[in-house]
Amino acid sequence: MSPSPVGPYLPLAVTLLVSGLMAAALPVLAHFLGPRRASKVKSESFECGSVSEGSARQRFAVKFYVVALLFIVFDIETVFLYPWAVNFKALGWFGYAEVAAFAATLLVGLAYVWKKGALEWET
Amino acid sequence: MLPVLNNADSLAYFWPEMILTAGAMGVFLFDLAVAKSPRRILWLTVASLGVLAAAALATSHVAGLSPTPIGLFNGLLVLDPWAVFFKYLSWAVTALAILIAGPSLEVASERMGEYCALLLAVAVGMSLMASSTDMLMMVIGVELVSMVSYALAGFKKHDRKSSEAALKYVVYGGVASGMMLFGMSYLYGLLGTTNLVGTAARMNAQAAMLAQAGVAASVAGAGRVAMVVAVVLVLSGVGYKIASVPWHMWCPDVYEGAPTPFTAFLSVGPKAAGFALAVRILYGAMSVSGGADLATAVADVPWPQVVGVIAGLTMTVGNFAALNQTNLKRMLAYSSIAHAGYILMGVAAASETGSQSVALYLVVYLFMNLGAFLVVGIVGRLSGSESIFEYRGLSARAPFAAVAFAVFLFSLTGLPPLAGFVGKFHLFKALVDRGGSWQITLAIVGLLNSAVSLYYYARIVKAMFLDKPHTEERIAVPASYNLLLGALVGLVLVFGVYFDGLRQLAGSSVVLFGHS
Repeated sequence: MSPSPVGPYLPLAVTLLVSGLMAAALPVLAHFLGPRRASKVKSESFECGSVSEGSARQRFAVKFYVVALLFIVFDIETVFLYPWAVNFKALGWFGYAEVAAFAATLLVGLAYVWKKGALEWET
Repeated sequence: MLPVLNNADSLAYFWPEMILTAGAMGVFLFDLAVAKSPRRILWLTVASLGVLAAAALATSHVAGLSPTPIGLFNGLLVLDPWAVFFKYLSWAVTALAILIAGPSLEVASERMGEYCALLLAVAVGMSLMASSTDMLMMVIGVELVSMVSYALAGFKKHDRKSSEAALKYVVYGGVASGMMLFGMSYLYGLLGTTNLVGTAARMNAQAAMLAQAGVAASVAGAGRVAMVVAVVLVLSGVGYKIASVPWHMWCPDVYEGAPTPFTAFLSVGPKAAGFALAVRILYGAMSVSGGADLATAVADVPWPQVVGVIAGLTMTVGNFAALNQTNLKRMLAYSSIAHAGYILMGVAAASETGSQSVALYLVVYLFMNLGAFLVVGIVGRLSGSESIFEYRGLSARAPFAAVAFAVFLFSLTGLPPLAGFVGKFHLFKALVDRGGSWQITLAIVGLLNSAVSLYYYARIVKAMFLDKPHTEERIAVPASYNLLLGALVGLVLVFGVYFDGLRQLAGSSVVLFGHS
């Protein structure tokens, strides 16, 4: 095998080819081989086993998104805090200052949304 | 060996960005403190300008700390004259965009704090774009500028066009970032590092490996194709930021929908940062010195020619699309696309004078283009419209704004004795200095394009001075706008005659970390 930069990627190309073929073949095979007996229950939209009701195209209040976004922000904060806590001694005061700056940044954000009233549920 | 500092030591050279980051958060909190004040906009403007002034002082401090280029954060960022130049440029654009926003009615007073703080965040992003030498850092810089720009483009909450602008910007920006990242993953696979310092040598080594005996011709060909594809994909991310053809589609819609002060910012700031990045990738990393101050491209990657073709296409499409526009913001959007094409000529020249002319032109462009958008803001402030109809007889309704607009438009055309001529002259000269046939052809295309652009710029001047106004009502211009207009006109006139200092400043800034 000659030294080439493309060589190591050959298995990757094979994987791509096989997975692409499978992705194409399975729906086609299912279309031709699978039996189809439509009934009223079967053509209903699937909702985890419970009986579906109403339209899926409902409008949600935007406050749900605000809460979800805030949750993600502080969720990510904990994700970053855990590795720091594990390496607390090794990182020393420099690490402490870094994490303090990081937490302070988020604190400013929290103060801002709080004061702006984004945490008020009833407005 | 090039000096590269570790994370802790780098902080001493990172004051401008740290000040701006803290300042952006401070402005958010300050906004809460002055929420009840009737002078809220004034306070916020003063506070933001104070932060920017502190950042500028810090920039001159850190630039003085290290006379030679220095790598920061283990090679993610650099501090070299090129980065320092674009840092000053970024602070200046941001300051002007904040100044313009105050009297504008498009940024509501209760949202001024958010506007200022977000602009300060974009300023950090532009600085990171201009000073990154690592592909990951480049993506972070580009994303920081883009993400915040999406929010600012949709700043007019209940305006359909503003929302449309934000959505289109997000979609295009997402695709462009994706393409750029994909290209970078190829480059990483081919070169084995995300750091761009010394890319030229790595590309040459890679090409030599492919050329050696024992490598099958098909494999060698695939390697070369992968390299060109990677470079083109990375360039498309940069091309999107500077709004060059064929990545310009977002530009007119976003410019039209976004609040005018932010459009003015968008047409200069991120574009300048994009060019700083383009020169750093193409000239700084992907070329080697080939005698005199000329650089040569490496390893079968014909990037000067590719950029040359893009430059020609960009200016032609921009200028011809601008001919029929009746909305001034859209016209200026296409004009800014055309200008991206002109500036790309300096990048395609692939020389020290080429990079110098890019830096020089961006300073000139800052004054004349911001000035043009300022006049659009003044007229739109009264009428709420950007149609050319509103500009008929402007010389009777707002004489000073009309004269200033004429100066900016003729400067954008590139007529002497205005600053635009000086900028354009240097771009053409850098290209012609290369002396190759395609460079000369591109210069001729550029000249013809300038002639075409005169038509649509002059059409507005004609409407302002020769047509009858549809109403006699005078346009009230805030004093601060008049002052700003006067300053910008003054700069355009002064730099049209006394440009030597500016040229020397731009010339001494073409020192890129790791480029030999």
